[in-house]
Amino acid sequence: MGKYILKRLLYVFVVLILLTFILYNVYSLVPQNRAYTDAKTEVNAMKNMLKPSEIDAKFDELYLKYQRMYGTDTDNKIVRYLRWVGVWPFYDGHCNGLLQGNFGYSWEERAEVVTIIGDPMKNTLFLNLFVTVIALGITIPLGIRCAVKRGSVLDKTVQVVTIVGYSLPIFIFCIFFIFIFCSVLHWLPPSGMKTPGSNYTGWKWFWDRVYYMILPIITLTFSSLAYMTRLTRTAMLDALSMDCIRTARAKGVRERTVIYSHAWRNALIPIITVVIGWFLGLFSGSMITESMFALNGMGTLFLKSMRTADYDVIMLIECFYVFIGLIGNLITDLVYGLVDPRVRVNK
Amino acid sequence: MEKKKGIGNWFRRLLFPGKELKEVADQQLTEKDVIEITSPGKQVAQKFFRNKLAIGALVVVFLMFCFVIFAPKFMKNYSDSYTEITQKNVPPTLTMMSVPAKMQEEGIKSIDGYGSFTLGLSNAGNVYIWGATQINTSGIDIGDIPQEVLDANILYAAAGIDHCIAIDDQGKIYGWGNNRLGQYGYSPEAEDDPSIVVMPQELHDNGIPNVNDIKKLTCGWQCTAILMNDGTLYIWGNMHTYANLENFVEKQGLVDIDFTLNYIVGLDKKGQTIFSGLRKMYEDVREDTLVGPTTKIKDFVKAHGKKIVGIEATSNSVVLMMADNTLGYVGDLPLEAVGMPKLSEGEYFLPNTISAGTYHIVGITNKGNVYSWGGNHFGQATVPKKVASIKVDESYKVFSGAFQNYLVDGNGKLVDKWGLNGYIFGTDTYGADEFQRIANGGLMTMTIGAVAVIIEIIIGIIIGCIAGYCGGWVDILLMRIAEVVGNIPLLPFALALSALLAQVNMSATMRIFILMCIIGVLGWTGIAYMLRAQILLARESEYVLAAKSMGVRETRIAIKHILPNVLSVILVQITLGFASCMLTESSMSYLGFGVQYPQPTWGNMLNAATNSTVIKNYWWQWVFTSLFLSITTICINIVGDALRDALDPKSSSKE
Repeated sequence: MGKYILKRLLYVFVVLILLTFILYNVYSLVPQNRAYTDAKTEVNAMKNMLKPSEIDAKFDELYLKYQRMYGTDTDNKIVRYLRWVGVWPFYDGHCNGLLQGNFGYSWEERAEVVTIIGDPMKNTLFLNLFVTVIALGITIPLGIRCAVKRGSVLDKTVQVVTIVGYSLPIFIFCIFFIFIFCSVLHWLPPSGMKTPGSNYTGWKWFWDRVYYMILPIITLTFSSLAYMTRLTRTAMLDALSMDCIRTARAKGVRERTVIYSHAWRNALIPIITVVIGWFLGLFSGSMITESMFALNGMGTLFLKSMRTADYDVIMLIECFYVFIGLIGNLITDLVYGLVDPRVRVNK
Repeated sequence: MEKKKGIGNWFRRLLFPGKELKEVADQQLTEKDVIEITSPGKQVAQKFFRNKLAIGALVVVFLMFCFVIFAPKFMKNYSDSYTEITQKNVPPTLTMMSVPAKMQEEGIKSIDGYGSFTLGLSNAGNVYIWGATQINTSGIDIGDIPQEVLDANILYAAAGIDHCIAIDDQGKIYGWGNNRLGQYGYSPEAEDDPSIVVMPQELHDNGIPNVNDIKKLTCGWQCTAILMNDGTLYIWGNMHTYANLENFVEKQGLVDIDFTLNYIVGLDKKGQTIFSGLRKMYEDVREDTLVGPTTKIKDFVKAHGKKIVGIEATSNSVVLMMADNTLGYVGDLPLEAVGMPKLSEGEYFLPNTISAGTYHIVGITNKGNVYSWGGNHFGQATVPKKVASIKVDESYKVFSGAFQNYLVDGNGKLVDKWGLNGYIFGTDTYGADEFQRIANGGLMTMTIGAVAVIIEIIIGIIIGCIAGYCGGWVDILLMRIAEVVGNIPLLPFALALSALLAQVNMSATMRIFILMCIIGVLGWTGIAYMLRAQILLARESEYVLAAKSMGVRETRIAIKHILPNVLSVILVQITLGFASCMLTESSMSYLGFGVQYPQPTWGNMLNAATNSTVIKNYWWQWVFTSLFLSITTICINIVGDALRDALDPKSSSKE
């Protein structure tokens, strides 16, 4: 098992490097030259103190200085990438990249990216974990029930409803729920994170937060029910048609035990794989929901940064998504190995 | 059994492979032992068509395809960037020309319209309102005519964009509708508001001194003017909608006045030029509505009877009625407008019959012909055959609403009406017809989905087949690549790429094409995986092994045994992938990073519904689009699902 984990880790590492390299190069296509802008601004500020003949020379000097500072004094894409990661020294001989804790600078917010990404990340994580727990709590029992009672009215209804569920884009759910709960019933606020102007602490803060989070959570949960229910149902059906189940039934094992112990364990394997993938999909999926409900989450930040062309922020969030995805794959593989002994033996 | 030969038999076996076996079976077995043998393809089809839901879905998908492909062909007037400020946020209605029956009974006296509703006045002094009467988000329904107006004997009535003004036989002035910007009546609050020209208080308190002296009552965009025979002008309303409103406040001695969209135009007693209080406005006159050369207004007046006797204003042009009964035009008419009709010798328009809508003009000639010309977007400048064929006498009147025409005979009976009768799905925030945009947007959404899924399938087939067929290190390498691509979060990455490409200067078509490529290139991994697995499975299967051991050639195995298995997977993937590509495109456009505004898609049409005000008040702007998008994707998914079930041999054994 140790060797297997090591192998997977190595693989994840390689893929991560590959992907970040691709991303880095995609973003370096953006026609922006920070060194040039900075040098130009500084020269313009000093214009009055300089003789006209000196301006060009001063600009060149500053331009070079800034290029060295930002690490863009070379056209070598690989060197630039390595500098960004933090394993290749800048002109002054020091490394200053991701590994050194330099995650970039947001030009829109005039702050380090690390400082502005903290809160949204917390919110997004909270939202997604919450939704996952609720969604799994609903879908797994429902899926099992549908599989066991195959062909029943419940099963057929769920089949149709879930097709509807996963065919709809999430923003239609958002619009629909806002219309129902905010415009018609006036039960819940349509957007925001807290009551405007309020400054609650303790429990009051918590309940206020919950009040504002209910609708996003409902929307996200609802939109993710369909897929998981269908998946659980299919996995359970496959498991129930296995020979061991027939044997167990023939032996006279109680139906409950057959379903929850024998069949469910077998069904778990495909479910785990997809649950993790689906959980990661939620992160990018919650983007639309967050922006719709004006939640201060990573998705909102991502969209905002894209509108303002704040590429350091976008880059970091994108890397985060990729990283989360890879970690998810790793966990899937490891859990797979734990649950299904065959996988371990094969590799 | 004799062996049949020849090409005909070969075809027969190709198309009905089960038949031969059945013949054998028939010969050997007694009747009760016979089991119908059907080919796998037929079996799949049978199973698919047994699923009623799937058939329903298939029909809906087919209809949807037909709708988006053919419906835009019938929308000759459609253009992506069409906007109409007076028709913003109109709810679904088809009643814009529904003149109330009671009003027709009482006899039609006058009809007036400026925005989305039309106001009618009957000979019995009652007012009626029809059309889209809900005024934006204010919650005001202009169709709720105040009781005092219903009780009074109204002599004059006019409609503005969101208010109505009526004057009764006592000279009392009534107003209803939106009053936020002083559209009607006097109020102390309006007096303090610098952006409002207030109705004179004595007019409000005492009414018009002599009702019979009223020459004209007309309303514009949140603005009202009453012109008296002696040249006295009462004018009030929102100062910001008309840049030259101030010039008219103290103006005396006008003989005619009207509102265009942005300016007020007046005519004084001399009738030499149009008074607007602004310099260099309305100086170039055309004799024809569209193409004729322009002449200076001074020369034009000299040439045509030396006097302008009346004016009528459309949204952006003014019709001049000259003393010699010719017409002149200043300003612009829309490009697709119908030119002025060619009149026969000695025929001219009766000046008091000419009436102007938002873009069109309608009038009756002295020879009894009714013509309408100008903007024809809603068919308002196309006179119906029935009207064109009848000779009307001098007692006939013709009225124009905003985009409608009503021909009324001498007894006040409605003869015919033509023009815009409403929007089945309402209009959007720019005033464009939602139905037309849904049809055209659907075409775009489906095209993008289809092209993206084709790109997906092609890449997926190539990579999946190579990986499955070659195996070994090629397989490992390709699958690792697929894993890397599959790990890229689709939506954020597609959004970011699209945003990046937005900075490059390129045409809209190019952008859309690149959008399709982005969606396709990021989404092929699922298909590749599945194909590879299918090919591997088929290669290892007993029947392929059997074929191999019988010495069947490799290509024949690939085509005859592996391809049918793989085809089914591809078919299912195309169906499901099509829906998911449409969803991706919609999500991107919805967020504003896909297809951009003037070009409609179902996604970016829903972009309007990003705030709760629109969601609540303008439900038609999202309900219909969401319905079309939802129904299409749901049905495609149902078809794909049923197809998968039908193709899955396991699913039948389980049943």
